[in-house]
Amino acid sequence: MDVISDQNWVLSVGTFLPLAGVLVMLLIPKREELLHKQIALITALATLAVGIYTLVQFDYGQAQSLQFYASTEWITVINSGYTIGLDGISLPLYFLSMVITVLVMIYSWDHIPSPGNPKAFLILMLVLQTGMAGTFIAQDLILFFVFFEVVLLPMYFMIGVWGGEQRQYASLKFFLYTMFGSALMLVAFLALFYQTGRESFSIPFLVENGINIDEDVALWIFAGMFIGFAVKVPMFPFHTWLPDAHTQAPTQGSVILAAILLKLGTYGFVRIAIPILPQAAVKWAPVIGVLAVIGIIYGALGCLAQSDMKRLIAFSSVAHMGFVMLGISTLTATGINAALFGMVAHGLITGMLFFCAGSIKERYHTLEIKRLSGMLIQMPKLGWILGFCAMASLGLPGLAGFWGEFPAILSAYNPAPQLDVTLFRTLMVIAALGTVLAAAYLLWLYQRTAFGEPNPEFTGHGHAHAVGAAGNDEHHSDIHDVNIYEWVAWTPLLIAIVVFGVYPQLMFKVMDPAVTQLVGVFNP
Amino acid sequence: MIASLLAAAGDWVAPTLDYHALAPEIILAAGIFAVLSIDLFLEPEQRWITSALSGFVMLGALVTVGTLAVIGDDTRSMFGGRYVSDEYALILKALFLVAGYIVVLMSSDEIERGRYHQGEYYVLLLTSVLGMVMMASSRDLLSIFVALELLSIPAYMLAAWNKRNSRGNEAGVKYYLLGVFASAITLYGMSLLYGVTGTTLLTDLGSAITANGRFSGVEVIAVAFIVVGFAFKISAVPFHQWAPDVYEGAPTPITAFLSVASKAAGFVALVTLTFVAFPNAEDVYQPFMWVLAALSMTIGNLYALRQTNIVRMLAYSSVSQGGFILMPLTVAGVDGVGESALKAVVVYLVVYAATNLGAFAVVIAVARKTRSGEISSYGGLFGYAPALGVLMTIFLASLAGIPPLGGWFAKFGAFKAVLDADTGWGYSIAIIAAINTVISAAYYITVMREIWMKDEPTGDTTPIRTPPSLGAALVITCGATIVLGVLPDIVGRFGDITDLTGALGR
Amino acid sequence: MSQFLRDYLTVVWFGAIALVLGGLLLGVAALLRPNKPTAQKLIAYESGVDPVGDGWSQSQVRYYIFALLFVIFDIEAVFIFPWATQVERYGAFGLVVMLIFLILLLDGLAYAWKKGVLRWV
Repeated sequence: MDVISDQNWVLSVGTFLPLAGVLVMLLIPKREELLHKQIALITALATLAVGIYTLVQFDYGQAQSLQFYASTEWITVINSGYTIGLDGISLPLYFLSMVITVLVMIYSWDHIPSPGNPKAFLILMLVLQTGMAGTFIAQDLILFFVFFEVVLLPMYFMIGVWGGEQRQYASLKFFLYTMFGSALMLVAFLALFYQTGRESFSIPFLVENGINIDEDVALWIFAGMFIGFAVKVPMFPFHTWLPDAHTQAPTQGSVILAAILLKLGTYGFVRIAIPILPQAAVKWAPVIGVLAVIGIIYGALGCLAQSDMKRLIAFSSVAHMGFVMLGISTLTATGINAALFGMVAHGLITGMLFFCAGSIKERYHTLEIKRLSGMLIQMPKLGWILGFCAMASLGLPGLAGFWGEFPAILSAYNPAPQLDVTLFRTLMVIAALGTVLAAAYLLWLYQRTAFGEPNPEFTGHGHAHAVGAAGNDEHHSDIHDVNIYEWVAWTPLLIAIVVFGVYPQLMFKVMDPAVTQLVGVFNP
Repeated sequence: MIASLLAAAGDWVAPTLDYHALAPEIILAAGIFAVLSIDLFLEPEQRWITSALSGFVMLGALVTVGTLAVIGDDTRSMFGGRYVSDEYALILKALFLVAGYIVVLMSSDEIERGRYHQGEYYVLLLTSVLGMVMMASSRDLLSIFVALELLSIPAYMLAAWNKRNSRGNEAGVKYYLLGVFASAITLYGMSLLYGVTGTTLLTDLGSAITANGRFSGVEVIAVAFIVVGFAFKISAVPFHQWAPDVYEGAPTPITAFLSVASKAAGFVALVTLTFVAFPNAEDVYQPFMWVLAALSMTIGNLYALRQTNIVRMLAYSSVSQGGFILMPLTVAGVDGVGESALKAVVVYLVVYAATNLGAFAVVIAVARKTRSGEISSYGGLFGYAPALGVLMTIFLASLAGIPPLGGWFAKFGAFKAVLDADTGWGYSIAIIAAINTVISAAYYITVMREIWMKDEPTGDTTPIRTPPSLGAALVITCGATIVLGVLPDIVGRFGDITDLTGALGR
Repeated sequence: MSQFLRDYLTVVWFGAIALVLGGLLLGVAALLRPNKPTAQKLIAYESGVDPVGDGWSQSQVRYYIFALLFVIFDIEAVFIFPWATQVERYGAFGLVVMLIFLILLLDGLAYAWKKGVLRWV
């Protein structure tokens, strides 16, 4: 793997800049709420500026090599280094994490969830940002592991403190699942280290040497990483933490979780598991493919059974990540390109859906689909935005979601030569059915919530039941259309969904060289 | 008769003393003398002087450890190799002195409130630290035993400090009786060893044991007894029963001291003996330590899960952490693993000291307000004392081994050492340890949940005033916990602590 | 049985002998001795004098402190005598070392004095 070491300070600055903001905020008393919001936003914007600089300076002609590459000694006793770099695979995700953080900060301006305390909330978010960005730039397994884990505690507290009613249960479940997964992952990393001669944890080094590992051993090591990453994705059957975590997390937490955290798992497959152990990947690919398709169908059916809007979106994540994993399991350039595109698209779209859900919850104090209706009459703009996102999510051509799903299905028609064609074509057919189900649950959701007459419970002049009467006055006064903070936070996402939908080449051309190099090993 | 004995001694030559190498011990001894004497002439309102002076004594000794580390990189050996100041000894001396200093910081406010015997408190503390500092350098059965007693006897008295309280009395008596029992067993083992080999010098013992190719029964008993004796000191299961009661009954700064410094001293003795005296006895001590480590981790964790009192929880957690520290020693005799096992133990001790002292400092700070040791009294801590809440979270997360805090690297090193060995014993203990890591996360997270997600049980949310010395202790421990996690090389690369193993040319 | 386990066999023997020996002595004694308890026999033994009052009574702790001080200086003498016979050979080094020892002891005495231990109230 080639490396380009020009301007190698860029990534470190982009990753650790949020921590500078954290340090400043720690020194300010927590009652200065406005100041905290300002500092957090400025930090996030400064980080984004570094991100944009990275984007501009990135050499797109050599997207397959690691750029801004830096490597220094870190933990010499185990030959682990502070090795960072960015290539076409990680660039979109790295940048996306920065964008999402800024947008979430803007959204937080007037949406700090109960019990308040913006200082702590925003500090956790900035720490999260460091962890996420660090995971995408790490080119050393130990460094990757450390950043991967940095994300754990802030998210745990974000769900556990600012979440919904079942927050303690949901956060504990999230914590234990992830902890279990990462323990296995670490064992797998250690095994890789030993099996390649105890020389280095550097990913480029392991990519060169991992192929020589005995196949039986490689299968086991891959299994360890598989579970570690699959928990994070989450793949069926490790997905059960997701609906709880998503439903209970505050809006901002759900958005970050959906947009970035889930991608850490899929990114791990593409960056670590498959390139380092291609011999095991070929053996495991059918398993991944089958589980992915089960995830698609199971997620879709799960959606149809939900009565809570946020839970429905959470289950749709399971289905969408199924498409991503299906693309990865084909081990072809098309499939992995589609998967990477799907990761970003899902980040944009599902992130947006969670924003909508959060705003709806704020206005109606409920997300029960039964009780919501006529949103288009009461809040036409929010209603249209929700419709737009639902369309994007179900994979309407012309919007970003399409380019994640369609090529992934297509690639299953023609998987890597080592794989069983019949199996993957079967999977393709089932996955295609999954898109129909996706259309069904999303349109159904939209029809029930946006169409029709507003529920008299929320209009304020309906003769409500005696029980609901007391709460009525507070309720309907809250119901207003999209406000300015929401517009600022959402517009970039909405534009991105359209832009990538109309001109997907924008992203494909960044990722393709790196992906082609990655799958080269499967097409000798 | 005495005359004939003396005549037999032959010409007497004064030993050459390396005063620089002994400087930490000399400063501590002079400090003990000074604190004890000055305290006699102090008015009650001037008593803070003893605490300040004790802190300065620790720091002064620490400075000389620093100069020893910087000036002259060779090993300094005295009394024919019975007292050695090498890098291994220096790291641990620094550890004991810093731990002692932090305990002084934690105590100054706590003991002032008690209003009695402040001078004696610090004298005893300094004496115990002196014993530990000696332990790090001792390379002879006798000096090890003297150091052990010197550090233990003051500790017995300190454990009983709350003498008006029945729990305090229980702590003192229990600790004393079991400690003396353990010392007796150790001494019995040592005497057997001396009887068989005719030497007390560790390096000689190393070559004398199994000189004829196989163990004699007495050697087995001797090694086993010595290990058992120190297992009491490090509260390894099944010799741990004293720990929770003593930790609960002793004043909290002393609990921190016992769970960190005193435990570390036990490990130091064990490590020195393992590597220098028993290099050929691995068949005896390895399985023995395997059992101790596995039991300590598992039983310690299972009991910790059930505790409702934070100090008892930390006590059982420290039993379980002790199992992790023992883990590398279970493979210490495998060829080529010695060095990474030794490093793993030392690194673990350093990280564990920083983290655990920090956790106890938070316990002291919180108890100032809540007057309670119940875990439920931590409810809502984050709301009214956010700094303490975050600090406790950091310490607990480090104990649980979550990156990027120090604990992860300590655990990682221990795992790496046993996996390095590539033996069945190594793999099996690694699996047990992995399971225990997850179990331990459960009870650490229970406390975090109280801090962050529950409400203050009594509704009293006045902020906690942390005295400056306690604040300093918190800053030092928290800084160390984070820095050790982010840049583990600071301890991981501490020169070649192979001098110790190198002494025998292994 | 492996070599290693055989090594441990010694420990087992050792423990077994300890148990057997202890059990034997107590057991034989229990079998041989006549057992005819009377009220007189069961009272606490106080060197032949009839016990007076409760067994759990407070005693003066001062006795022990005095005894302790006495023992300390007794031991000191044990160290000093042999040193004194050979003081020329030890030279200045020996003198300094002994002085340090004595000063430490004196400090202890001063401490006891100041704390009022020497007063018999």
